[in-house]
Amino acid sequence: MRSIAIAAVGSLVLLMSGAAGATGLATCNAGPQSGWQDQDAVTKHLVVKAGWKEVRRMKPDGGCWEVYGINENGRQAEAYFHPVTLQHILTTQR
Amino acid sequence: MQEIKVWDLLVRLLHWSLVAAVLGAWLTRDGEDPRHLQLGYIALAVVAMRVAWGFIGSRHARFADFVRSPRATITYLQEVITRREPRHIGHNPLGGWMIVMLLATVAAICVTGWLYTTDAYWGVAWVGELHEGLTDVLIVLVMLHVLGVVFTSIRQRENLVKAMLTGKKAPEVAAKANERVHASGG
Repeated sequence: MRSIAIAAVGSLVLLMSGAAGATGLATCNAGPQSGWQDQDAVTKHLVVKAGWKEVRRMKPDGGCWEVYGINENGRQAEAYFHPVTLQHILTTQR
Repeated sequence: MQEIKVWDLLVRLLHWSLVAAVLGAWLTRDGEDPRHLQLGYIALAVVAMRVAWGFIGSRHARFADFVRSPRATITYLQEVITRREPRHIGHNPLGGWMIVMLLATVAAICVTGWLYTTDAYWGVAWVGELHEGLTDVLIVLVMLHVLGVVFTSIRQRENLVKAMLTGKKAPEVAAKANERVHASGG
């Protein structure tokens, strides 16, 4: 019974430790966040240059800016951008 | 020793289906895995069925059988601490409230997750953060649930995980030394 408890708690702790980390969907290696373009700059770039309809949410993931919004196709999109060069890395849309 | 039937088939089926759906949804949480949404809908359907079964199911499946007043729950907790708690053939009062919280939390995660798929709420920070925050709450609840099951199994010398698989438990008369049987039959 005790070994079941240890196994159960251990596996849950293992699952939780993965919760806070990067998703591994994209990696940018852009250095410390102090050198990144800020959220306003990214939003402006996406709306003015890339034609996004709306930028709704942005968070760091894997050293990239992970951006949620309605993209140039009018679709729900989750996209990754290099936080210094703003180069497009990856988009998933639905 | 003749074991008696406590958990009906649907209770057990829904319990383990929910475990599988929640675990699957957790494992597909990143990126655009379409299975994440399907598992969310399945989890919500399981919760809905369990809630309905909580009103029309067999004796120990019903909320009325195991949701006790806060006072009775605190009394039970005090009895646990002083090692005087009675055995409950169905859910004990702490387990009963855990079930309510687990079902409510899973439902809230499903609803916020669904909301996030709509055009109006896609990418809206508070919806996403609420969905993820509630998931953290669920993880803590699941850990407490598992710990509670293991603790009670040891304390009552009865494998409750097995009971949730077979549906059977030792009869109430098969008492260990410090057991008191509740007047309510609980």
